[in-house]
Amino acid sequence: MPAVTFGLSTNAGGYLLVLAIILPAIGMIASLVAGGRAAERIALTIMPVGLGLALAIAISVWWEQAPLVYVLGGWAPPLGIALRADGFSAVMLVTAAFVVAAAGYFARPLFATPAHLAEGRAPLAFWTLLQGLWAALNMVFVGGDLFNLYVALELLTFAAVPLVCLDGRPETLRAALRYLLFALLGSIFYLLGVALLYGSYGTLDIVLLAERIRGQSIVGPATFVAGGLMTAGLLAKTALFPLHLWLPPAHANAPAPASAVLSALVVKGSFFLVVRLWFDVMPGLASDVAMGLLGALGSGAILFGSVLALRQQRLKLLIAYSTIAQIGYLFLMFPLAAGSEPWNWQAWNGGVMQALSHAFAKAAMFLAAGLVAESLGHDRIADLRGIGRAMPMTLFAFGLGGLSLMGLPPSGGFTAKWLLLQATVQGGQWFWAAIVLCGGLLAGGYVYRVVAPALATSTLGLKTSPSRSREAIVLALASAALLLGFVPPDFHGLLQVGRRAIVP
Amino acid sequence: MTLLLAAGFLSPLVLLAACLRPAWRRAIPAWLAVAPLPALAAALVVLEGTPLALELPGLRFALMLDVPGAILLAVSALLWSAAGLYATAFLQNATAKLRFIVCWLLTLSGSLGIFMADDLVGFYLLFALASLPAYGLIAHDDDDAAYRAGGVYITFTLLSEAFLLMGFVLLAAGDSAGSIRIQDVMAALPQSPWRDAALALTAMGFALKIGLVPMHGWMPLTYAAAPVPAAAVLSGAGVKAGVIGFLRFLPFDTAMPLAGELLVAVGFFSAFYGVVIGLVQSRPAVILAYSSISQMGVIAAILGMGLATGNNGTAIAGAFYAAHHVLAKGALFLAIGVTFMTAASRIRPTLFLATLVALGLGGLPLTGGALAKLAVKDFFDGSLIGMLAILSAVGTTVLMVHFLVHLSRSMAAAPSAGAALPFVLAWRLVALAAICVPWLLYLAGGRSVQAVLAPAALRDAAWPVALGTVLAFGWVRWGGWAPRIPAGDVIGAMETAFRSARSAGAAVERLDGGLRQWAPAAFSLVAIAVVFSAAMI
Repeated sequence: MPAVTFGLSTNAGGYLLVLAIILPAIGMIASLVAGGRAAERIALTIMPVGLGLALAIAISVWWEQAPLVYVLGGWAPPLGIALRADGFSAVMLVTAAFVVAAAGYFARPLFATPAHLAEGRAPLAFWTLLQGLWAALNMVFVGGDLFNLYVALELLTFAAVPLVCLDGRPETLRAALRYLLFALLGSIFYLLGVALLYGSYGTLDIVLLAERIRGQSIVGPATFVAGGLMTAGLLAKTALFPLHLWLPPAHANAPAPASAVLSALVVKGSFFLVVRLWFDVMPGLASDVAMGLLGALGSGAILFGSVLALRQQRLKLLIAYSTIAQIGYLFLMFPLAAGSEPWNWQAWNGGVMQALSHAFAKAAMFLAAGLVAESLGHDRIADLRGIGRAMPMTLFAFGLGGLSLMGLPPSGGFTAKWLLLQATVQGGQWFWAAIVLCGGLLAGGYVYRVVAPALATSTLGLKTSPSRSREAIVLALASAALLLGFVPPDFHGLLQVGRRAIVP
Repeated sequence: MTLLLAAGFLSPLVLLAACLRPAWRRAIPAWLAVAPLPALAAALVVLEGTPLALELPGLRFALMLDVPGAILLAVSALLWSAAGLYATAFLQNATAKLRFIVCWLLTLSGSLGIFMADDLVGFYLLFALASLPAYGLIAHDDDDAAYRAGGVYITFTLLSEAFLLMGFVLLAAGDSAGSIRIQDVMAALPQSPWRDAALALTAMGFALKIGLVPMHGWMPLTYAAAPVPAAAVLSGAGVKAGVIGFLRFLPFDTAMPLAGELLVAVGFFSAFYGVVIGLVQSRPAVILAYSSISQMGVIAAILGMGLATGNNGTAIAGAFYAAHHVLAKGALFLAIGVTFMTAASRIRPTLFLATLVALGLGGLPLTGGALAKLAVKDFFDGSLIGMLAILSAVGTTVLMVHFLVHLSRSMAAAPSAGAALPFVLAWRLVALAAICVPWLLYLAGGRSVQAVLAPAALRDAAWPVALGTVLAFGWVRWGGWAPRIPAGDVIGAMETAFRSARSAGAAVERLDGGLRQWAPAAFSLVAIAVVFSAAMI
């Protein structure tokens, strides 16, 4: 691995990070100002540009083999604010741009401004919120300062919550309110932790903070409490078991493109910060017990979420519970990736691969479920018999997504499991391996529950047929999950850029 | 030449891509018989003496074909091709054509590709491809029996894949150089700290695939539910994905007495179990399924002996024995279909040929089956083991006569009914291949004809078949007292246990209802914060 320096000055390409945040933010404001159909046009124009920008960031991180840094206004931290993109940030930026763009183009018929109106409430809200959410995500991925990240996290929540209840039905409002309240609770915990850290160390810049924490001979209890509070708050926003009360109603009732973005990206935003916290801010403090605890909660999520997914009657609820389970795998990173052994970086890459492949697979599945619901007028699993005959492309895309969730090759899900399992073996932590395998079997069960009856020959009457282009979008997302199974070794190197090995 | 490997694996997928165009779709069934031919050509090249290997470094995907793989690939491709001919005719009056074709081509690609897999990930991928899409073939009839069989099949397949995944992870972990090539990880295996666990898990995965007792319950359900051409390829070629797995992943060059003897014990138990339960079945397809359980047991016993003694020749001998089973079992399933369409007045040639093939499984002299038995004779040289092997040949003969009797009762009722030409052609082709192809392989292997034609050899092969036939007629005459056991025997109990495990899900659901209330969730949040703070100290 090349030596990594954590310079706090802007480097070449650093300005791209600013653009990545500003572009969707400007899009959001412009959409709001221009209103009406222009909002949609602006959003759809910005999305491909943003995707190109994210790719440019990823390529320059890969090219330099070092994180991109931008120091705002030239004021070095702790006075100023730094933006920083390591390998993990870069791939998350690309994933977010891809999924947001897919959801946006998929949503066109759903959120077109009606012909007889100059402006519709739901369309305007959707297009502005989607861009706002995207800006917030990008801020989360490149933010280098804990308070800045708090703001990003809040923006993310406030953009995500209204997306749940765009249609204004009572149950979606209830789901959104539940989401909002619990997320707020999480925010308060996080903010308290941030305040404690600031009080103790006088800085919130991640790099400086990490240095100062490491520089202490005895770490005070305030730091521990801060860590506990911030972790708990972030887990609440990630809906890690047992803090998942808000996720199933919110993700299952939102419009399909919103569900896709929420499940694929928004929960990963707060997860990303848990990783930042434990691997960048207080790496030395990651005791085995604490890391094991995160792994244990993740394991609980895998088993619990999968069993519940097996029992759902509605397709979107099944997918939502599957999200709870798939989030669980992400947390196996903590007990497995904290260290400097080769198997630690395998676990790190496994965790990141899981985040990426789940994002693509889950977005594809939610959008496929959306097409099914639009075409049938319902998403009751019991009445999906024969849907494969009526909508073969949609089912195929759903199945590809399912393949990745089950961890079958070729898919990113397989690569993720392979790496995580390698780490459990070489690290002698067999227990997690059993959980991963059980999770794969249960995922096979819930995918089978949908796909097997869908393959039946019974004829289903469709209200409308899905359009080819929207099916193509779903298929593109599912294929992306699949193609992650073919990434060259260089890609694994990219994920390591800027990662710090934790030396206890 | 090496491109033949890629063509062998890709040709079904090319046809699959052609299905995307509705205009081409109608022509696809006619190509089902052609799709396996590139793979057959590749196998023949290797059997001629040129090992093939192909590496696509960009995709990190490599193929290779050695002699054991080529033996199995050649006969599997032959069976797939003939069964494809049968399927083409079958599809003319079938519903859900497209589903059948898609699943057929996917399974075909995996089923042939797996013999050429060179690395762990490729093997795992092709194993999944050879197994999972077969669901669509098994559940083709869209009735309750088909859904049940499909569900049970998928459960066993997923289980076997879970075992394999962990086994492969351990194999890969054992190679400190980080290679995932099968030959590299197998070379590193003796020194691997995870050797025993890796072997046990991998073997468990393949045991599920070949249906060793007690993991056999899916086979009778599956073969009875699948349409004839599908049952033929799955029982003949499909299950050999497990056999090639054993051939590739058992370390035959180091003697492992304990593991080998365990495999022998399980194998012989399956061999006799399959015969006994098969004898109380009356549906021809179910009887054949039990015969498969029994024959897979014999193969496991052969491989177990090879492992116990550290015999380098095990892979080729095992492949040879399994190759005969590919053709014989495939042929007999096609015979079921042809008999069903043929009236009593025209059945004689079919029954005659079926008798030769069926008794061949028991080792009828001069048939391919006798050669298969001869090829593995050296593995069963102990007095007890030799006796068990002969007993299993006797048992197989009894079971096969039992099958023939029930086959002859399943003829078409219409007096002038006859099977159409493609059906008959496909069946006779595979049947003749089952009798003759082992001869070609035997002679190509440079072995002597005298060993087969010597009077002692003929006598050794003949008497178990003769004894078995006599016993079988006794069984047909006086065996009516035996209780009937439902197809799949223990599978019923397993399904019940599975269902009761599912009801535990209701408890999980209640727990979820509780956890998703505000008070418990808020409590969890606070508890997590406190516990984490404490855990860091």
